[in-house]
Amino acid sequence: MRLVTSDGELIQRAATGDRSAFEDLYRRYARPVFGLALRRLGDRGRAEDAVQETFASVWRSAGSYKPERGPGAPWIYAVARNAIVDRARARTEVPADIPDEPSADAGPADRTEQSWVAWRVHRALEELPEREREVIGLAYWSGLSQSEVAEFLGIPLGTVKTRTRAALHRLSEILGDDL
Amino acid sequence: MSDFRDIVDTDGLDGEEEARLRRVHDLLVQAGPPPDLPPSLERTPEAAEAEIVQFPLLPRRRWAALAVAAAFLVLIAFAGGYLLAGSKGSSSFAVERVVPMQGAGDAQAILRISSKDGADNWPMELEVSGLRKQLHRASYYELWLTKGGKPVEPCGFFRVDGSTTTVRMSVPYDFAQADGWVVTAQRDGARVPGPVVLRT
Repeated sequence: MRLVTSDGELIQRAATGDRSAFEDLYRRYARPVFGLALRRLGDRGRAEDAVQETFASVWRSAGSYKPERGPGAPWIYAVARNAIVDRARARTEVPADIPDEPSADAGPADRTEQSWVAWRVHRALEELPEREREVIGLAYWSGLSQSEVAEFLGIPLGTVKTRTRAALHRLSEILGDDL
Repeated sequence: MSDFRDIVDTDGLDGEEEARLRRVHDLLVQAGPPPDLPPSLERTPEAAEAEIVQFPLLPRRRWAALAVAAAFLVLIAFAGGYLLAGSKGSSSFAVERVVPMQGAGDAQAILRISSKDGADNWPMELEVSGLRKQLHRASYYELWLTKGGKPVEPCGFFRVDGSTTTVRMSVPYDFAQADGWVVTAQRDGARVPGPVVLRT
């Protein structure tokens, strides 16, 4: 059973001026917001600005969060999306050449779906114990095999397998309805 | 990217559990790696952090000390203003009222207000210390008049370099309608008051 404070509770506490609640939200969401901003804006500097703006807005607007209208993650996602859109609008657009053929890139709906998945997964990763998050990062995104992960971390292969499975179990609990 | 069975040991898992872990695996693959946070985002953001500053009412004794200090500053400012005015320098600034402002930690300011000029403007001088230097090129601070404790009339923008900064402004407002001043941290393009970092 998970006893972690929900995002909604943290937002409500932040609305009353609870600094530690706000810091917990920041710890959970800084990376997902930054990832979302990077994908949308394609520029680290402006993505950093969007993160700052997002959390300033979260602090200012936490009182407007209504728990009966849904959990906290989509609310923060909406706040982040608004901040990112504001940043995107502020950019001076360079007129693009019109392509001759349809793009193979994902359309807006697919991009939104991908962004939401990444948002939830990256948010869930923040709740893993460091040693499990480390194993997941190496197993999925470093290109190392499980044996190489074990060698890299200096731990037995069995421990890598145990941590990986434990991490996936924990992620499945955190992601809950998204599965 | 490895296959699910290359990464996850499925021994002893029942079908339902394996399917659930496989779905998590698929989501991890789909999501891709989370980004590394740049150093500037390792802590809570400047603007949000600034607003977290609590402004508890000062104990009576501190209010009294502040009032005495303010009165003393008024006296000094009057004398200074008189001397400056006497020198007929272009920078003459006769102080009529001094307003202390407080923020978190060492952040504080003295707002000196001169008498109304011939065009019905109130020249003011704001001396600020202890405010954090802006992290971003587009960040700045703004002085506001407040009504009901809320910033309503903008009085001027400024930036700080981390030490004491003095800026002059001039506003046409009727101070009788206001109940104080605040300084907010602003971001480029912000059309509304940002987080309060100093208040009277």
